[in-house]
Amino acid sequence: MSESTQWKEIVGSRIPPDLGREIDIFETQIELRKQGKIDERVFAETRLRRGIYGQRYDNGHRHDGRKIQKLKLPSEGLTKGPETVWDAPGMMRIKIPFGGLNPEQMEVLADLSEEYADGISHVTTRQDIQYHFVHIEDTPSLMRRLAAVSITTREACGNAVRNVTACPLAGVCRDEVFDVTPYAKASSKFLLGHPDTQDFGRKFKLAFSGCAQHSCGLTSMHDLGAIAKTEVHDGVERRGFEFYVGGGLGAVPYKAQLFDNFLPEEELLPMAQSIARVFARLGEKRNRARARIKFLIANLGIEKFRQLVLEERQKLASDPGWTGYLAGIEGQGETPLKGGTALNGGARPEGFNAWYATNVYRQRQRGYSAATITLPLGDITADQLRALADVARRFIKDTIRTTVEQNILLRWVSETDLPELYSALKRIGLADPNAGTIVDVTACPGTDTCKLGIASSRGLAKELRRRLSEKSFELDQAVKNLRIKVSGCFNSCGQHHIADIGFYGISRNINGYTVPHFQVMLGGKFRDNAGAYGLAIGAVPSKRIPEVVTRVTDRYVAERQKGESFQDFIGRIGKKETKAMLDDLTQVPSHDVAPLFYSDWGDPREFTLNDMGVGECAGEVVSPAQFTLAASERELFEAQIWFDSGDLTKAVSAACGAMVRAAQALVKTQNYDVFEDEATIVAEFRQRFCDTQLFYDKYAGSTFADYLFKARDALQSVNSLEKGVALQRLQEAQLFIDAAHSCYNKLSATIVAAGAGVASSVEKHA
Amino acid sequence: MDLQKINIKFFAADPVSIQPESFVEIFNTWIQASDGEYYDLADYSHVPAGPGILLVSHEANVSIDNGGNRWGLLYGRKRSADGSNGAKLRAAFATALDYCRRIEGEPALQGRFRFRGDEALVVINDRLLTPNTEESFSAIRPEIEALARALYAGTDFSIEREQDSRKRFGLHIKTAGSFDVTTLLKNLQGSVN
Repeated sequence: MSESTQWKEIVGSRIPPDLGREIDIFETQIELRKQGKIDERVFAETRLRRGIYGQRYDNGHRHDGRKIQKLKLPSEGLTKGPETVWDAPGMMRIKIPFGGLNPEQMEVLADLSEEYADGISHVTTRQDIQYHFVHIEDTPSLMRRLAAVSITTREACGNAVRNVTACPLAGVCRDEVFDVTPYAKASSKFLLGHPDTQDFGRKFKLAFSGCAQHSCGLTSMHDLGAIAKTEVHDGVERRGFEFYVGGGLGAVPYKAQLFDNFLPEEELLPMAQSIARVFARLGEKRNRARARIKFLIANLGIEKFRQLVLEERQKLASDPGWTGYLAGIEGQGETPLKGGTALNGGARPEGFNAWYATNVYRQRQRGYSAATITLPLGDITADQLRALADVARRFIKDTIRTTVEQNILLRWVSETDLPELYSALKRIGLADPNAGTIVDVTACPGTDTCKLGIASSRGLAKELRRRLSEKSFELDQAVKNLRIKVSGCFNSCGQHHIADIGFYGISRNINGYTVPHFQVMLGGKFRDNAGAYGLAIGAVPSKRIPEVVTRVTDRYVAERQKGESFQDFIGRIGKKETKAMLDDLTQVPSHDVAPLFYSDWGDPREFTLNDMGVGECAGEVVSPAQFTLAASERELFEAQIWFDSGDLTKAVSAACGAMVRAAQALVKTQNYDVFEDEATIVAEFRQRFCDTQLFYDKYAGSTFADYLFKARDALQSVNSLEKGVALQRLQEAQLFIDAAHSCYNKLSATIVAAGAGVASSVEKHA
Repeated sequence: MDLQKINIKFFAADPVSIQPESFVEIFNTWIQASDGEYYDLADYSHVPAGPGILLVSHEANVSIDNGGNRWGLLYGRKRSADGSNGAKLRAAFATALDYCRRIEGEPALQGRFRFRGDEALVVINDRLLTPNTEESFSAIRPEIEALARALYAGTDFSIEREQDSRKRFGLHIKTAGSFDVTTLLKNLQGSVN
């Protein structure tokens, strides 16, 4: 019995059936890919939608500083996507909606990081957890063990609705309008795997914030951002949201635009669904660089976009899922483990006061605080995570959140317990102070593991963190309050645009050498939900970035006016002066004089761009029809397994189901909203493809279509099947599915020839 | 019980002198000399009591590891291996010791880095095949004891199992005798011949 099967038996009863089925399907798809029965692009998008991402060097090559080495991977030509070798380790992204965790989940995350990754759980800038160096064939077991504690990786990557984020202080914040947690949770659940979110040209990100003025939700930089708001109508206070669309960072950052000044809570999900439908229908599919919804909105204009969405909203049939969660919303609040008592005058351990000053947030609930665990570069070991679960059980309940600043927040700590909590954290190396300060540098993975990374964001962040930690006690408070964020490239996973001081990796050619640089971005605004994006000042060699930080902050301290923010200061002195201030730092000494400039932070190799690969952030554009065709292959594979086990009845039923699925794939090219019931699919297939002879083989005529109709008729007598007849049905099913593929390819070619772009752009909402 | 994903750790004799970042450079030279054996290296030296500096390959990872807040060399097998449990344990120990010897002889360290030969940690990184239970210990005890006898050439030793049931199956093997890496490797090889 395989490891995967054994884990299925052990944890299967704890896995929600639909999630379990999803994982079973994916495991079959892995098998089919190994047999060459799924196209590599389809498989790539399939795995991405289950959180399995490529990692640097997964094309099988690595530059060792002198030459490119071909890595010893025993895959023998098998790939898991274009230019992605099967046995190359990859990244696994795990969705943590609104960052919510409980101790049991933390223990499982710890175990899995040890057994399948490198022992580190990495908190991302969107509240996910990531593992690195994961083998694709370990992923079904990994997913099942996560699913058993109600965690999914589904749609963590790929062109889908990504992790729904929310302010980590939601529910305990002193300034929030109301707790957005239940709304974030409901959105995450409702949109996960929803049919209307399966055909995007790019990813789609949602964020919730409880207030407009703080940073925590970062709604302005999201595709869809919702800020809690109330209005009084006829003397009754109603909950709703200031609703924004079309924000995003990346190479071309956009601030989200106001879609609705007050969207009532009951309209949140139907409006999100309507937006998803418009994005799926009209969003760019071919040009990946302009496929995010921000470009669609910019092209249409917010008024036209709003009109289209509202029209779509009118068409939607009512769904109980839109409002079902609202009934119990008042009872969903968290509860503390202990009574709320104030921090008394008792003994305080050494280091406590510094930690308390930066890492403790006094909740709006009297006697309680939220404590931030500062994670260096977002990393936590398995032992620490398990120990932190113990600490959480000792002081709080299931009230733990990951944060977009790559930390972990323990909420509902009785203030009296804070010194003891600090001591407990110190014992496990998790009591670093300086959360949310200039020392607490945020960074994306960069060249450490990302295929798109240009420069070492983590290497730089580590260096800055080290230097700033050493002098944190002497830093001016105004400087201490600043944020530094680093990305390895312009895609902005490190969110450099919204930092006071941001950097993103670039390179420059100096006398024939490629030299790592960072573009300096100053004056971004983290507060006000990512209220403003920073200004690009100029490119500085990586090794001189620490000097940039020193120079800029020193000047700010020396010249700022009373109460002047860093953004205002940068705005006042102007780009020209700011650039002049850094001019000498842009110089690169010759290779002979300073060879260190020609390698990156934490990486002794001579710098090169040769290791950059094809990014998977954009996913693969795979149409719903292609996914459905792949599903038909998988169902036929399952039919074969039933046949091999001697269950002919199930084998023939599954084969027939596989044919219907293939027919559905074709129907989807003309009618995206085709129902799931078999009779409708077959009727539509007959009308749209047989009567029109679109599904017609030059030599076999309508024979393959007849296999489908005959198989459905024959299902009535499956109880008295002979093995030979059953085998014939399976073979006919394979022929039908092959013919469906041919038909789809023919249609796609026709569409492309007609200049209409990829098939998926025209194949819906007929 | 089929032992897979065997991890072996030998501890540094003088942990205070360790500069983990220096292993980024050392491992990079190993990569340059390896012709595609190693995929990558990962630097987690910023994490307290963490995996340190990892050298990643398909079959196994090698790291200067600080797990349990104790620096040492960790050899962690990832892919399945064939053979009896005794043979697999022996092979894992031999490989780990070989890496220790390579580090001790690393020119960049100028002979300053030594490993303790009187203690080793065995971790089985597979909670399914080898849960951390007394039953697992009983099942593999004969092979572990045989290995320790060979390793320490008959000198007394003790074996202590990791008691936290949430952690992976782990055994600390300790001896009162004094051994260096070369001797341990010789003992292990001698016991086979």
